[in-house]
Amino acid sequence: MVKCTINGIDIEVEAGTSVIEAFKQAGQDIAHYCWHPGLSVAGVCRLCMVEIEGNPRLQIACNTQVAEGMKVTNQSEMVKDAVKWGLDFHLINHPLDCPICDQAGECGLQDQYMHFGKYDPEMALSKVKKHKVVDLGERVVLDSERCILCSRCVRFTEEVSKSNELGIFNRGDRSEIGTFDGMPLNNKYSVNTVDICPVGALTSKDFRFRQRVWFLKDKPSVCTGCSTGCNIDVYFNKDGVWRVKPHHSDVNGYWMCDEGRDIYKAVNPITTDFVGERENKKAVKKPNRILSAHSYHDGKMEFISTAETVSSIELGSFSNPALIVTGQYSNEEYDSILGFWKSKAGGKNIFHWQNQPEQWQDFDGLLIRGDKNPNTKGLLASLEKHGLQAQSQLPSMEGFDFVLVLGPENQWVYDNISQVADQVSQAKKVIWLSACHLEKASQMPKHVTFVPAKTFVEKSGSFTNFEGKVQSFAMVDVFVEEALDLQQVTQWFAGERVTASLAHPWQSVHNEFIHERGEL
Amino acid sequence: MEVKILTEHYSDDNYRSLDGYKAKGGYETLKKAFSMKPEDIVAEVKASGLRGRGGAGFPTGVKWGFLPNNGEPRYLLCNADEGEPCTFKDRMMMEKAPHQLIEGMIISAFAIGSHKSYIYIRGEYVYAAKVLEKAIKEAYDAGLLGKNIMGSGFDHDLDVYRGAGAYICGEETGMISSLEGKKGQPKLKPPFPAVQGYLAKPTIVNNVETLAAVIPIIRDGAAAYRKNGTEKSAGTKLFSVAGDVNKPGNYEVPLGYKMIDLINNECGGVKGGKLKAAIPGGTSAPIITAEEIEKATLDYECLAEMGTMLGSGSIVIMNDTRCMVDMMKVISHFYHHESCGQCTPCREGTGWLHKLVTSVITGQAKLTDIDLLCEVANKMKGRTICALSDAAALPVLGIVPKFRDEFEFYIKEGYSKVRGKSHGQMHH
Amino acid sequence: MSVVQVKRPQLRSSWYLPAILAGMVFTFITMLKNLFNKKRMPTLNYPEEQYQYSPRFKGNHVLTVKKDGDLRCTACMLCATACPADCISILASEDEDPKVEKFPISYEIDILRCVFCGFCEEACPVDAIRMGPEWQTPGANGDNFIYDIKQLAYRNNLNQGHGVPSVVEDEERHEAGI
Repeated sequence: MVKCTINGIDIEVEAGTSVIEAFKQAGQDIAHYCWHPGLSVAGVCRLCMVEIEGNPRLQIACNTQVAEGMKVTNQSEMVKDAVKWGLDFHLINHPLDCPICDQAGECGLQDQYMHFGKYDPEMALSKVKKHKVVDLGERVVLDSERCILCSRCVRFTEEVSKSNELGIFNRGDRSEIGTFDGMPLNNKYSVNTVDICPVGALTSKDFRFRQRVWFLKDKPSVCTGCSTGCNIDVYFNKDGVWRVKPHHSDVNGYWMCDEGRDIYKAVNPITTDFVGERENKKAVKKPNRILSAHSYHDGKMEFISTAETVSSIELGSFSNPALIVTGQYSNEEYDSILGFWKSKAGGKNIFHWQNQPEQWQDFDGLLIRGDKNPNTKGLLASLEKHGLQAQSQLPSMEGFDFVLVLGPENQWVYDNISQVADQVSQAKKVIWLSACHLEKASQMPKHVTFVPAKTFVEKSGSFTNFEGKVQSFAMVDVFVEEALDLQQVTQWFAGERVTASLAHPWQSVHNEFIHERGEL
Repeated sequence: MEVKILTEHYSDDNYRSLDGYKAKGGYETLKKAFSMKPEDIVAEVKASGLRGRGGAGFPTGVKWGFLPNNGEPRYLLCNADEGEPCTFKDRMMMEKAPHQLIEGMIISAFAIGSHKSYIYIRGEYVYAAKVLEKAIKEAYDAGLLGKNIMGSGFDHDLDVYRGAGAYICGEETGMISSLEGKKGQPKLKPPFPAVQGYLAKPTIVNNVETLAAVIPIIRDGAAAYRKNGTEKSAGTKLFSVAGDVNKPGNYEVPLGYKMIDLINNECGGVKGGKLKAAIPGGTSAPIITAEEIEKATLDYECLAEMGTMLGSGSIVIMNDTRCMVDMMKVISHFYHHESCGQCTPCREGTGWLHKLVTSVITGQAKLTDIDLLCEVANKMKGRTICALSDAAALPVLGIVPKFRDEFEFYIKEGYSKVRGKSHGQMHH
Repeated sequence: MSVVQVKRPQLRSSWYLPAILAGMVFTFITMLKNLFNKKRMPTLNYPEEQYQYSPRFKGNHVLTVKKDGDLRCTACMLCATACPADCISILASEDEDPKVEKFPISYEIDILRCVFCGFCEEACPVDAIRMGPEWQTPGANGDNFIYDIKQLAYRNNLNQGHGVPSVVEDEERHEAGI
């Protein structure tokens, strides 16, 4: 351990810590763009200038290691002047098109300017023109004029994704980020470059222009895309979830994969008339949520669409009921439904519906795993806890008079879903829990009833990831009031009154940030 | 008075070949070096007070002493990427005496225990590269390179690597990046090249002239080398004199020589007018006026005292028909063009300086822009990874305050105070 | 503790009839005056007669357009952010022209929620929304009060029907020093 003084605060840090990390540990603000804790040190933005006692020259905090007894400050006039000018150099060729820039509201340049800048610009000459709206790959768009060439994205493709698509071309103030001809940015982690971009140079095609970030709130959750269980932040407002971003944790570091970023698409009900129009522009692409169930009060379920009423279901009245489970529900839900099944149906005929189990051990070396269910481990543990056996092969369903299907939330990872739907519809009566509309739903026979299920953002619980780590997550918000989780399904089957969760307990996030910051 | 130590035989065309070089006592020093212990060679170089001739003037022996003793392979790189505007001494040395450089490199490599070295030569020096290639081949054939050189048991390989013409590759870490096959951008220090350089191995980078100067030091001893020059700036140095003088060219004079004597005696006086100003160490050094030139001696200390530097030893002489605004534009354009774009202050600042100076010429500038020029230059200085930012800022901080009247006149009247309304002769 | 005697009004002053009669006399006289001297009448016969407000009156919103008729709005949503009544809703999309980049495919103002504060006009960085001189906003049902792009930018009484100025070109703005 090394002792040092940061802005007059004495702290002890581990040997080998850089000064910028020491600042973070001391809770002190320090301006920086190119430094990122998950990447190597580039030392190019020259903004993390600090004054070290006994050194007449300012040093950059990211490439200076803390030494015993070091006294560092970034509050001196010399540092403030350096940061102010550093910002000015960043901004002289910046287009300042914040109104149409997606990064506005979470932009490093805006933030640092409010913290350290606030000066009148001195640059009155014409700015350097560069390429705008450059299509880098499937998911990322580049605006070179906004780019401050911090090289974070380049270092990401070099060090993390190891795919080396990006490079800095040309030199001096003509430098631009780019890809080589015929080598687009299409690696499986490409949107991380958007996250780490401190300005609006790299934007995600999926999120682009859909919301201003100050209309969004974020809450932590766990990704359901695969068994890795990356920690994420879910960005949402009253109209739905708009994006997910990785949240730093031991499981996933600072990153997540591109596939995982699509999980929110199963969450939103479709709310505006313009979806069709926007769909053409590839702005909205998501499966529709089931909104048709009307109420479950007093153990009965009514449908607006069919006006059919399903009475409370007495499991004991069926001679041969079956339960089909998938690994996409939480541990608490499994406990509830399996316990119920054991007591009411003797725990027999449980089938574990698996998607490509032969790929379950696959791992790409960074984050992506072959098991596309977030909680296979939790399901197996819960079965074991209740002393139940599940068969992994789905037999012909003809002999069953009742089948309860706990369908997958992320349907698109189950490529055999329509076969299973056909297979299941051979049973006499089927209740299918599904978060999203099945494409085949309209062709299904009448004795198959779809019941909307809650998505991971609408319930609290925990997932057990591939290594057996139990990660709990809290409810973010309710977007479909009619949807049920498995505890509620158990209540409904037991003939109890089911209380619906109300959407949006809060009213509006309107103007929240403006008033909080209030410095404009 | 010229003192020809390195350039003694340069007038002999045959000196370029191995036979001609050997006839003048070439490779004798190498034989002597092999009879010494490597530590003694390093000590001798340290004692000679030889300072890096590439521009920074760092004591060579001290630099060699920084190498860690960790058993890793070491590399010796010769910096022949002579990119500083108006510098052309290394070019002459490589073209006239390639074997001198090779011998100096083998001695230095033996001293620091390196078995592989490269000459990183500027891309435009096509002829010099050819001469070097030929000389290296001769040396290999004669057993002066390769395995067991001259029966000493010392192995050494030497290659020429041609750059692609970027000024920044003359910076030692930029050169290492380029040599590694990457974009030629300087690397963060620490770690310094002596610890982690080429391929992350300990590396020593020396200028052509520095490596050649090792020969007389080993041949005659440090004391003999110290006879020339001053206490802190020992030995002789080549100066490339260009601009408005009657006899421009390379001149080897002892350090501490009076600058005005070099101009008037060796270079035959100022051409086409009266002496107005000079840049003493390549365009990155701040300018000095005629009065300062009278007092200046050509050594590291005197010029540093005057707020400028000896640099690579390229002296640009300007007579009184030269407009300083034009001069400033040419210089700022060069650094704008050559900034590697890595660090923000330099990337944006060099462009800003160039645009500001151009706006003076195009008549868009305000009087306050003169202060802004100095302010921008001041804020670029010392804030980047390498010294290119300083190199771009220092000429501004030299020229603008010293010739402020010319800038003010240009902004107020819209034409040059010196050359009137005629077009400038200087174009980049 | 003490007892306060409250004085009740006398019959004479609590008898209002004389005052009422006096008021009626005044009304009658005014009616006669107005009947015979219409010019000095302080009220208007709305809707046949309408008051002309100053052209700078901040009434109904106008979305300004460029000379080619495209919206100036870039869908930055600063107006929606600044709106205290939460009555502006915008849906943005990507334009094929990279110079425009972002534009609104839907821009709606719920005029019944609007408080005509003018914050939207002030927040707009590109002079794309203005408050015009119109102030009458009749409508038959609720739908008529949600103004869309067609209504806000292309209604007949705007500039391109040579009415309220709504064509704004950047060059003119620059000349005016904006």
